[in-house]
Amino acid sequence: TNILSASFYRHPWDTVIKAAMRKYPNPMNPCVVGVDVLDRSLDNQGRLHSHRLLSTEWGLPSIVKAILGTSRTLTYIEEHSVVDPVEKKMELCSTNITLTNLVSVDERLVYTPHPENPEKTVLTQEAIITVKGISLSSYLESLMASTISSNARKGRDALEWVISKLNTELEELKSTRDGMKPAMAAASTEK
Amino acid sequence: MNSVGEAFFELKREYDLCFNRWFAEKFFFGDSAGDPCGQLFKRYQLCVQKAIKEKDIPIEGLEFMGPSKGKTENSS
Repeated sequence: TNILSASFYRHPWDTVIKAAMRKYPNPMNPCVVGVDVLDRSLDNQGRLHSHRLLSTEWGLPSIVKAILGTSRTLTYIEEHSVVDPVEKKMELCSTNITLTNLVSVDERLVYTPHPENPEKTVLTQEAIITVKGISLSSYLESLMASTISSNARKGRDALEWVISKLNTELEELKSTRDGMKPAMAAASTEK
Repeated sequence: MNSVGEAFFELKREYDLCFNRWFAEKFFFGDSAGDPCGQLFKRYQLCVQKAIKEKDIPIEGLEFMGPSKGKTENSS
């Protein structure tokens, strides 16, 4: 099952990308309980590559976990992203790395400036869901498809929430910047 | 936001703070000095790798990640 969606934000690309990098936690995705950076680097074209691990808690009742044959509390997702500040493109790919014997959810998100209006950002999003096994596959796939579509809409709201939170933080940071300078100077001499 | 190993929350918090500041203020303006958070990241990453092994999270190639790879050093 493939799901494709396109949406846009009424914010410039830089703003959306800063929010996308700090998407979690947010109230629209309460299941994402942990985000960790596994690796991060700049390539020689100045693009930022990040490899991250997302921990999600679905709140499955223990009977469901027993049926699924998992003792894990959390489901894990691996995410790779590349941000190109020159070409103004962020590409994000994620896949689940647990419960893989049951289902694969592969998502690809691409954020680019709107071609006609630099004050807007376009997001194209693709999700490929593969349910392993045969008998329940088409039912489960359509169930997951509707959940993922609804999550795509929530994801849009989630970034709007993060953007407004970051704007508040920016105001606070500006007003405390003088207090930060000595601490940052000390940190930079350690390198 | 929590980390995969709760004991390393503070290390993660420091790294995230450093990275978020650099990302918002320098990265988009073509700052050529690179990511200044290398030291913080090394310490945080060691803990993440340890927690991943303890929790048996199936990340492939984990043993090849880490400071020795050199990719996360800043360009200076």
